[in-house]
Amino acid sequence: MHSRIMQAVGGSLIGGKRSIVEAISSRSFRKAWIGIIIIFFLAFVILPTVFVLTYAITDWSAIQDEVLSDPEVVNTIKNAITNSFIIATIVTVIDLIVGLPIAWMMVRKEFRGKRYLDTLMDMPLAFPTAALGFSIAIFWAMPVGIAQPPGSLGIITSPMLLVILLHVVFSYPYMVRSLSAILEQIDLNYEMAGRTLGASQLTAARTITLPLFRAGLVTGFILCFARSLSETGGTMMALAIMGAQDFFTGPTLIGTWKNAIRDDPSLAETLVPALSFVSILLIILALILLVLVKYVLMRVKLPFRSVWPRFEKSLSRGMVPRMKDGSAIIFFVIFVLIPSFFVFSYVFTGETGTVDWGGFTGALGYSFIVAIVVTVIDLALGIPLALYVARNGNGKVGQALDVLVNVPLIVPTAALGFSLGLFWANSPVEEYGMLLVILAHVAFTYPLVVRNVAGAVEEVDSAFEETARTLGARPIQTFRRVLFPMIKTAVLAGSIMAFTRSLGETGATIAVNPNANTVPIYIVNLIKAGSDHYYEAALACVALIIISYMAMLAIRYITRRNGEVV
Amino acid sequence: MPSLRLDGLCRSFGATQAINGLDLEVGDGEYMCLLGPTGAGKTTTLRLVAGLILPDRGSVIVDGVDVTKRQPEERRATMMSQTYALFPHMTVASNIVFGPFIQGWSEKDRVNILHSLLDMVHLTNRKEAYPAELSGGMAQRTALARALGSGADTLLLDEPLRALDARLRIALRMELRSLARSLGKTVIHVTHDQEEAMVMADRIAVIRDGRIIQVGTPKEIFEEPATPFVANFLGQSNFFIGKMDGVEGELQTVIDDAGHRILCRRSDDMDGDVVVAVKVGNTNITVSGTGFLDGKVERILYEGPNLHVDIGMGDLGRMSAKLPNRKMGELSIGDEVSISWDPAKATSFRLPEGGLEKELRVE
Repeated sequence: MHSRIMQAVGGSLIGGKRSIVEAISSRSFRKAWIGIIIIFFLAFVILPTVFVLTYAITDWSAIQDEVLSDPEVVNTIKNAITNSFIIATIVTVIDLIVGLPIAWMMVRKEFRGKRYLDTLMDMPLAFPTAALGFSIAIFWAMPVGIAQPPGSLGIITSPMLLVILLHVVFSYPYMVRSLSAILEQIDLNYEMAGRTLGASQLTAARTITLPLFRAGLVTGFILCFARSLSETGGTMMALAIMGAQDFFTGPTLIGTWKNAIRDDPSLAETLVPALSFVSILLIILALILLVLVKYVLMRVKLPFRSVWPRFEKSLSRGMVPRMKDGSAIIFFVIFVLIPSFFVFSYVFTGETGTVDWGGFTGALGYSFIVAIVVTVIDLALGIPLALYVARNGNGKVGQALDVLVNVPLIVPTAALGFSLGLFWANSPVEEYGMLLVILAHVAFTYPLVVRNVAGAVEEVDSAFEETARTLGARPIQTFRRVLFPMIKTAVLAGSIMAFTRSLGETGATIAVNPNANTVPIYIVNLIKAGSDHYYEAALACVALIIISYMAMLAIRYITRRNGEVV
Repeated sequence: MPSLRLDGLCRSFGATQAINGLDLEVGDGEYMCLLGPTGAGKTTTLRLVAGLILPDRGSVIVDGVDVTKRQPEERRATMMSQTYALFPHMTVASNIVFGPFIQGWSEKDRVNILHSLLDMVHLTNRKEAYPAELSGGMAQRTALARALGSGADTLLLDEPLRALDARLRIALRMELRSLARSLGKTVIHVTHDQEEAMVMADRIAVIRDGRIIQVGTPKEIFEEPATPFVANFLGQSNFFIGKMDGVEGELQTVIDDAGHRILCRRSDDMDGDVVVAVKVGNTNITVSGTGFLDGKVERILYEGPNLHVDIGMGDLGRMSAKLPNRKMGELSIGDEVSISWDPAKATSFRLPEGGLEKELRVE
């Protein structure tokens, strides 16, 4: 028996494709390859994202002359930025207050219909925000120029309130997901130990579990704040529908001014410095915020030490916990679910109008080409970076990349798009509108893929890869046969996330190329064109929602199926 | 088949010097146990041999060829990690033929080796199972079969039995050793369990603070420890600190400041302050006044086959002895007793510079 093994061991090791594998396995090739990936990341993602900052140095006089010397422009910018930050803060706080009980319920409780609630919870993630903006605006506010649709409440008259209601809908799944991800990792035994030591349920949860999931709070906080700060399309839609012409957030101001330049190129001279100034402010404030939240929230002492045993015990029993869960669900239904789906009711019960299907399918084709190309680039160049970051997280370069990769996630996409447009201005790239859109979408979706994949790789014990190497596998074979099958789900989730984000993006697209004919821009333009086109816009919204939702169901299906196999 | 030589290896992680001038030779087909406390650098040594990390200095030499710079897959040395690292998305069979598959063996060779290996580790009827469905012992055997099947000549086993229940661990010791032996593999087996090392190894290398402090057969290491640390790490020892006095034939007298006098094995190259170590198991208890040193029984622990007796020795601290359990009842706490030993089993060492306590510290 052993001689047979020896014979086999001595067997031929040489196969056909060997030579390519050999070539790309050398240490020097691998070093060069990762060098190329890092250069791509810096030159095509990071640098264009923050390029506008150099404008403050090279063209400060233009900002001085066209912006700072004109009190009216300064005032408009100041109001827009202030609005953005007020809205983002309020939205994040609401997300936290209603997100915590829902996250808790989803992780720690078993109840009928939990799986359906879980799917519903993610729905706003799949809805393009422009479509959500339409749906929510006609539900809450009185649309200008058309009769109030049946079922619409028409009670919101404050633009800021409407925008807050909109932003809560699409940002709040991020909070729930971040909190429940951490909550799932926290061993229930800690809380049980606390309770056997005499703590009531509420006291144990508050003093033991809550402090442990600070990291989840930080992630949720950053994600919600950044999403709210960045949102353009939905906000533009909502404001246009309620007829709030003078209310701007930072990103809608960028969108509006870019559209103005498109319609009248002579405005560029005055508006480009103003646009740069808004973008610079948004980028710097967003980055400061990222640092503040990361370092302050992780260090600040929370009042978890004192306890009120009798009071907290009374809150842990009877009606109170049930009311907490009940009101969280009621909030979800009234403020998220019904407004999100209202567009369907509008399509079926509102006044019909003419529909230009050619225009819509053209936009859909454009959007799909962009989203597909963007996803392919993200995957091809994002996975190698993710591997590097995950496996070299302790090195200086690894740490720097790990921080940098968050930058495009936190920078508002409209500012990112404008900055990227400036970066490629006067280069051959500028000639190709779609290429610009693709580059802009890569910049803000690339980190999604990197984050997702890097997170998954970090979970995989490096012993698997190391063992494969000592069994004779080349690095590329190790990736293909061992690591990739184990992170497949995260790769898929990351790519579908990138795909749907690209499909639904408005801000970056308008800011980089207002002539681009993507679906969200098509819808925004329909709304801007007047109330005659609302029905057509609504139909386009419904179509976009259905397509995005299909994509999300596909993720869920594939990830669940994978979960069963392993 | 390879012989292996590690030559002056050094490797640090940040400020920590994990491996500090490590030399070791492993013979062709030898089963070498690398034994040491946690944090001694055992796993780092294996990873250096496997090529998973590169040394700061020094070299790894296989059959006279310097392989220090070679990539892991070019070294014909397979590592089996503590956690086994069975690929969760592959069946037992796919795991086992991973090496041959990745190296491009023909289908026929792969099937042949798979059947031999499955047979060898008794897993033929579990070949379609996934790792998550295996018991600890089956997982261990799958990992072993995979390592054996890779065609590598050297096996690097990192605590291969650690994740198993105590009983199974002991049962698998011999199976593991005889498989490696019958296939003629050169093995480095890392462990912190001295008993495991004693029964499995051809030779043991004791590692501490990133350096090998003694290499020898289990008998040599146990009976002729090179340092007080080795004496205490392989079976607990009693220690006596004193000065060399006279020599009587093969025996030597050691005396301390308080006038206690004991006998140990003769060693000519030592004078001045010495430490004498004698294994707890070689220490006898006799009637008060008849042994080398007197004390009072403080504690008796019933360990099944043995009694572990702790004796307070006044200013000499505490010493221990192991007696067969039939002595139960002959001793009780508070008894005045005397302890003695066969002087041939007591080894003397130069008193270590940092003192005895520092020398014996395990972390």
